Amino acid sequence: MFNCKDSIDKLLEYLDGEVAPDVKHHLEQHFKGCSPCEEFLKQYRETAPLCRKALLRARMPREVADRLTSFLRDALRKA
Amino acid sequence: MRDLTRLQRQPNVRPLMEASDENLLLRQAQAGELGAFEKLVELHRDRVYGLALRMTRSEADAAEITQEVFLSAWRNLSGFKGENTAAFVGWLNRIAANQTLMRLRHRKVVSQIEASLEGPQFNERGSMLDEVADWKSDALGLTLDAELSEAIQLAADALPEEYRRVFLLKDVDGLSYEEIGDITGDSVPAIKSRLHRARLTMRSAIDAFYQDVESSD
Ligand SMILES: [Zn+2]
Repeated sequence: MFNCKDSIDKLLEYLDGEVAPDVKHHLEQHFKGCSPCEEFLKQYRETAPLCRKALLRARMPREVADRLTSFLRDALRKA
Repeated sequence: MRDLTRLQRQPNVRPLMEASDENLLLRQAQAGELGAFEKLVELHRDRVYGLALRMTRSEADAAEITQEVFLSAWRNLSGFKGENTAAFVGWLNRIAANQTLMRLRHRKVVSQIEASLEGPQFNERGSMLDEVADWKSDALGLTLDAELSEAIQLAADALPEEYRRVFLLKDVDGLSYEEIGDITGDSVPAIKSRLHRARLTMRSAIDAFYQDVESSD
């Protein structure tokens, strides 16, 4: 039987689908009987997409974009 | 009819539908068309700039890195064998990650915030002691609370540097473990272990945000 700590240690590999069948079985048994871990698994799964959404927002400022364009025009036409 | 034929012979005039087809732009750029490449730059500069900005936390560095990335992309485009946009994005991201890490290697990154890692607490029998909040979140939904967004940014900034890099490259920019390993020289198990610790820390930060929301309700 896995305890909470064993289960949480394996979350990344579990979600990557990389745990052995017996480990997968132990994990799923634990999640079934442990609602805090079941909830934790849900949160862990949501963490990456939430972070991605929060952090993937950068926009290049207009003047930087203009400088990039003229830099590339110069450099590429010479190349 | 004759006019159309003449139009098509001019290399710089393309019908609108073709120009909007990014895969075609890619093929044209691969064939050496500067105009097509410039359009690709326009489509992808935010992504490249964002990756560099998140990693370096410096707008000046991010701007310079973006220039280097696209210059290098143009010069190496003949070595790029992918055929679609997804492959091109992956290729660009790898160049960007590489350029960024090269630059970071040359100087010590100073973080204003003290770095920390968080994770759940267990008792001596390995049972979890933490109570988790109801996130009320929908990771796939369209909106993201501005305050939550800010909490996530602060928490990501506070990750220890080598954890932050792995987390940003994998979970935000979508590089694979192997690609990260090629760029950083770290082993895949080491990368996975750092990513796991980083995710636990980010989960704690998001959970703390929702605990606050609950207690102020
Ligand atoms: Zn448990």
